[in-house]
Amino acid sequence: MTIKYKSQKIAESFYTFSILLFLVQVLVGIIAAVQFIWPDILILNFNTIRTLHINALVVWLLAGMMGATYYVVPEESETETWSVPLAKLQFWATVLAVTAVIIGYIWMGLSPQANSLVLGTRLLNEGREYIEAPRWADILIVISVLLFLFNNFMTMLKTKKWTGIQGTLLGGLTVLALMYLPGMFYTKSMVEDQFWWWWVVHLWVEGAWEVIAGALLAFMLMKLVGVKREVVEKWMYVEVGLVLFTGILGLGHHYYWIGTPKYWLWVGGIFSSLEPIPLLIMVWDAFRTTREARVVTNKAGLYYTVAHAIFNFVGAGLWGVIHTLPQVNKWTHGTQITTAHGHLAFYGAYVLLVLSIIYVTLPALRGVKEFNSSRALQSFWWMTISMVFIVLTITGAGMVQTYMERLMGLDYVAVKSTYNLWFWIFRVIFGIGFLIGVAIFVKDYFKIGKEPVSAAERG
Amino acid sequence: MGSNKGVRNLFIFGSLFFFVILIVLTFDTLSKLPGRAPEITEDVNAGKMAWHKYDCIGCHTIFGNGSYFAPDLTKTTDKKPEAYLKRFLIDPKSVNPKASMPKLGIMPEEADQIIVFLKWIAKVDTNDWPPKPILAGAAGVGGRELTAGERLYQSSGCSECHMINGIGGTTAPDLTHIGNTRDKAWLFGHFKNPPAYTPDSAMPAVEASDGEIEQLTEYMLTLK
Ligand code: HEC
Ligand code: HEC
Ligand code: HEM
Ligand SMILES: [Fe+2]
Repeated sequence: MTIKYKSQKIAESFYTFSILLFLVQVLVGIIAAVQFIWPDILILNFNTIRTLHINALVVWLLAGMMGATYYVVPEESETETWSVPLAKLQFWATVLAVTAVIIGYIWMGLSPQANSLVLGTRLLNEGREYIEAPRWADILIVISVLLFLFNNFMTMLKTKKWTGIQGTLLGGLTVLALMYLPGMFYTKSMVEDQFWWWWVVHLWVEGAWEVIAGALLAFMLMKLVGVKREVVEKWMYVEVGLVLFTGILGLGHHYYWIGTPKYWLWVGGIFSSLEPIPLLIMVWDAFRTTREARVVTNKAGLYYTVAHAIFNFVGAGLWGVIHTLPQVNKWTHGTQITTAHGHLAFYGAYVLLVLSIIYVTLPALRGVKEFNSSRALQSFWWMTISMVFIVLTITGAGMVQTYMERLMGLDYVAVKSTYNLWFWIFRVIFGIGFLIGVAIFVKDYFKIGKEPVSAAERG
Repeated sequence: MGSNKGVRNLFIFGSLFFFVILIVLTFDTLSKLPGRAPEITEDVNAGKMAWHKYDCIGCHTIFGNGSYFAPDLTKTTDKKPEAYLKRFLIDPKSVNPKASMPKLGIMPEEADQIIVFLKWIAKVDTNDWPPKPILAGAAGVGGRELTAGERLYQSSGCSECHMINGIGGTTAPDLTHIGNTRDKAWLFGHFKNPPAYTPDSAMPAVEASDGEIEQLTEYMLTLK
């Protein structure tokens, strides 16, 4: 198997960049976990380490999705990418901007005064979680994303094969780009600040990104088991439709306690409790389709794809819905319960999504028909078991915190430093387990297609 | 492709429909916000700018959103006196040697502005969040009548900073065994004028009559 269109090769650059940042994300994540036990272990304070951890996450997932798009659109449009030089330019511009931003975060961590005010905006760090990137970087990011969208739309226009998959994929990506804008202006009110901040964060992960996931899931199921396009696309529309019908107003689950009117308790409570439904349909879709499969050449791809569907539901759906009703959220809001959900949701919905698409498309990119999937499965189990235990650990910490701090009124620091100490220790241990899984994955990524496959190892 | 047209259109127009509702609710919410919070003065805004400058959200939550490494700051100014907070912001370890909040280089006027900002935050109508701990009674003295000294301890907010038997704050020394380490004269004098006994003390002087302070001192001496 090889790629049908030479220009699809650009996907690989994005993948490589993506997984290098994945490694960075997990390394700094372990440092952050250690800082819960020894806060002064490094010259960089916790806030800087956490900024690196969550920004690396967002960027590597986006880079992975961009890579996937450069692969999927030519395949769906049955033509070469409109402009390969533009794609390369966009790739290097992204790498450069991201590197500059990271250096800025570290610089600001070493000397906060360097985060000065330039033209009314912060030079190095905006001081808003997830969207810490300063305004000048926001603008570069928007330009890069616009070039990316433009290039792919032009590819589609070349043959005008309006397949549902690529339409939905690019639709999701366009909404993703638009939903970055509400985070790009300053407001004097902290209430308004958080109001718009949640537009970005929530309408990304529970809106645009989930639409992209739906489209890529359909693509992968089609490639892996050869189901009919007509059928996968029908279910894709059902899934992404329900995602948006519930997720758009589900935004209200972040507007309970930030100073916004009380009716959000109703709007957010009702719509967000329905959000797991489309995620459950995706699981059913994955199982139904793959059960029919007769011959599967890409076992690793299939494994990751099905796991993505399952853990998207468990992490985002189940771990989300347990604290989404205002009556519960009143007590758990802003505790480690949130952290637990954040981890499993990002892992299930998006980490596994990007890793699946890499496994589904990499053999063709490397020009091999088959590869030995044992390392892929090994890394899968290391990562997944470790992540499940990380999440159980933090869920435990969150239950203790909710009970002792929120219900009994004990002091935050007392609960954190004494009652929850063992949870922090276990989190570090499982974090190292996760790192082992990532290391195996990275090795596998660089080896696939570059080592001979013996008959015994196949499949 | 053709047969999926219906479900595709349902997806597109259904989503647009819900998005339009969101826009309407957004306008309504924005128009109601000023009525749910005090006026935003220049100092409140300057405090907010400093909040972003030092990336406080990278460790703390505010309105329960942010990072989970340090306490939520929504109601901090209701609990701790201004002078104390100012000193803490400028140099946390000078107030509490065990503090893990780093010295960020916050300048005195920035500290003042941050405190004005946090006071604004504390007055925002958050639909009663954070909730009052419903099991707090269980952590009390279990039905026994409080002594006068204990009552003063509770009503003066000492437990916002100090801890006795695991209950109370962690930013000042633990008082569980204070009766073993300090004598009556020291305690009494310290309550009236802390810096005279502990150089650079950040503890606010106790505002009460000599008789009440005497009772508070007696209570302290029982903590062994
Ligand atoms: C590196 C993490 C970190 C950063 C950054 C940080 N803090 Fe803290 N802060 C803490 C921790 C941890 C505590 C809890 C007490 C302790 O252990 O120091 C704390 C305590 C506080 C307290 C005392 C709360 C109380 O109830 O006594 C205030 C007020 C405070 N921080 C304000 C701020 C402000 C304002 C900023 C930004 C200018 C900020 N902090 C930045 C970690 C941080
Ligand atoms: C805003 C925080 C704060 C509040 C409120 C507060 N204290 Fe303190 N307290 C401190 C700090 C900081 C110290 C350490 C510096 C010193 O010794 O003065 C201290 C020291 C003490 C000490 C001496 C401890 C020792 O071993 O040296 C005692 C006793 C004490 N406080 C009792 C009280 C009592 C009783 C109250 C209530 C009336 C109270 N404090 C209210 C912050 C506070
Ligand atoms: C689809 C992928 C999802 C991802 C990646 C995700 C991620 C996150 C993250 C990172 C946060 C914390 C934000 C912060 O730092 O303050 C969060 C908060 C929250 N999420 Fe999700 N989420 C997803 C889906 C869902 C779903 C489907 C639900 C509900 C059914 C949900 C319910 C919540 C709630 C209620 C909070 C607020 C927690 C609090 O009050 O502190 N999430 N989510
Ligand atoms: Fe959400």
